[in-house]
Amino acid sequence: MQLIEKLTILADAAKYDASCASSGAPKRSSKGKDGIGSTNGMGICHSYTPDGRCVALLKVLLTNFCLYDCQYCINRRSSDVPRARFTPEEVVTLTLDFYKRNCISGLFLSSGIIRSADYTMEQLIRVAKLLRQEHQFRGYIHLKTIPDAAPELIAEAGLYADRLSVNIELPTETSLVRLAPEKNVGSIHKAMHNIHLGEREAKEERRAPRFAPAGQSTQMIVGADATDDSTILHNAQSLYHDYRLRRVYYSAFSPIPQSPKTVPFEAPPLLREHRLYQADFLMRGYGFSATELLAGPGNLALDIDPKLAWALANREQFPVDLNRADESLIARVPGIGVLSARRLGALRRERRIRYEDLTRLRCVLEKARPFIITQDYRPPRAEHESVVLRQQLRDTPAQMALW
Amino acid sequence: MHSLRFDGTFATWRQAARRALLQGLAPHQLQWLDEEAAPGLFDQPAERAPEPNGRLRVSPELLDLLESAAQYRGDERWSLLYRILWRFVQGERSAVLAGDPDGSELHRRLKAVRREAHHLHAFVRFQPSKAAGAPDFVAWFEPAHDILASASGHFAERLGKHSWLIATSRDGVYWDGQRLQHERRCPAHWQAWAQQPEDDGQALWRAYYGSTFNPARLNRTVMQQHLPLRFWKHLPEGPLIPQLMSEARAGAQRDGQALVLAGRKGKRIARINEGDASRPPSDDVSGSDAPDLPR
Repeated sequence: MQLIEKLTILADAAKYDASCASSGAPKRSSKGKDGIGSTNGMGICHSYTPDGRCVALLKVLLTNFCLYDCQYCINRRSSDVPRARFTPEEVVTLTLDFYKRNCISGLFLSSGIIRSADYTMEQLIRVAKLLRQEHQFRGYIHLKTIPDAAPELIAEAGLYADRLSVNIELPTETSLVRLAPEKNVGSIHKAMHNIHLGEREAKEERRAPRFAPAGQSTQMIVGADATDDSTILHNAQSLYHDYRLRRVYYSAFSPIPQSPKTVPFEAPPLLREHRLYQADFLMRGYGFSATELLAGPGNLALDIDPKLAWALANREQFPVDLNRADESLIARVPGIGVLSARRLGALRRERRIRYEDLTRLRCVLEKARPFIITQDYRPPRAEHESVVLRQQLRDTPAQMALW
Repeated sequence: MHSLRFDGTFATWRQAARRALLQGLAPHQLQWLDEEAAPGLFDQPAERAPEPNGRLRVSPELLDLLESAAQYRGDERWSLLYRILWRFVQGERSAVLAGDPDGSELHRRLKAVRREAHHLHAFVRFQPSKAAGAPDFVAWFEPAHDILASASGHFAERLGKHSWLIATSRDGVYWDGQRLQHERRCPAHWQAWAQQPEDDGQALWRAYYGSTFNPARLNRTVMQQHLPLRFWKHLPEGPLIPQLMSEARAGAQRDGQALVLAGRKGKRIARINEGDASRPPSDDVSGSDAPDLPR
């Protein structure tokens, strides 16, 4: 089989993994050295596909032959798809060539399970080792970790990879048992735990070997089962807490050809995935807890973003006086982000904040207006009713129609 | 009105601005004419006044900000910078803050410049060069701001000992493996080297791009927000974009498989049993045969 044909099959097989981040790696440079590749902590999106997703890495499977029969997966053994397998050298050649052309910042390699978990993991490691040792490649490497692989293999993977990830796949154990019978929630957590330990050792002991400096991430498929957003967010929160994950990716279940009857035929609204990412961002960057965002069972609202939803449900915290309030509380105002909050902090050390300043800082005033006080502005009484506000502030139908 | 004609570099502007400040010339009294400005009918030749004496203190942070913002191409390119400098020297520190009318414009420009440097790092596409005397890799790019000189060092870190050049319709950079050379007018032979015919590597990249796209998630708006139309023509995947979009719209939207694979003969895999699992791997790893799987 021609290389281009393998690439076509194995990129198609890998695209359901949402992660393509190339950020968080330590500073490395090839200036004046043999080999190629650099990282500086910042990710670069080298292209965008028409689905609006970033292309930062060469994201392929080593092979899409697979012994497992995960119902939501296009590569499950019962799926009637063309199959292919790269040699490790072929992946190395493609990575180096695309890298030199500046098409990618590195490699994200995963694989179907062939023969055994250990064997599969060894194959993935072999590619990373070839790149790092034979070719002195200093670009980004993300390796998917096979959960049942031996801990020594995970430790070895951490030597070469910037990021490791184990997919949690589904938000509940019941769903995993039902839809991914060969997978086991216990071994997934154990693998995450091992990666977390490796990271901690590398950080705490000066002479410890390098271990996945860009940390670990995971992916949860949304909409392949009936789990609600509340369960998903609480689950994500404990993953962040227990294993210090850098990112949880939410991937709206994407219908696959010849879909089995156990999974839906329709994709969930992409807007649901979007709201989950917004909520996740509020947990990581703004100090919100899952319970603040969704106290009881249920899903995030689709018509308003989760920050606005929180503000409408917590009117007693508002309006916030921008000339007095803590920056952390200002960042909780809908339409004002962390950066603007910091800039308002800098500005008010020079002079009083006025309404017009928010325009210059490019805050979303329609959203912020009912929740703020400035030197020259107070929200009028009429704006006090949350139900009315929600009517006014919901995302317009025109935007909804995009999805 | 004093017209100050200069070569359009930050270094020269800085000296001229310093002189103007020491002469006490207010922003509204000055007109900055760089190389792009057409000569005006009533242009006064800049008088060669004797160098004024005096001391000016400007923080290195402010100078850095002004130098970055000077890379922005657009109206009032230099007069905004002078106004901010003037106000700052008069003691108006808020002139550089994002909440100030001038500061807000300054930060908008800084952001545009940073974004364009990022675009360079993301969307430049090198091709191995075949021409004699040319560097190992060549690329053509058309940045919207003058970021080429300051942002190209990034590629020296990426490409190790390889030599490369980036040509534009204005300036150009050349890394010979040790030193970065920036030419404000890109030499014609650099430009010729950078305009190469397609090669096989680009076909591979296009195959990857088409396959990694999920047609069930078509979202043109988000895509164009991140990858503005003006970059498409220099990307090998550029011509593929409209084609993939129209195919996705034409009905492949129900599932995520790449259209080139849809309907192709597949291969179901039988449930594994003990004997097969321990079979040694075969050397033939290509093709649709699974070396490690029961057939």
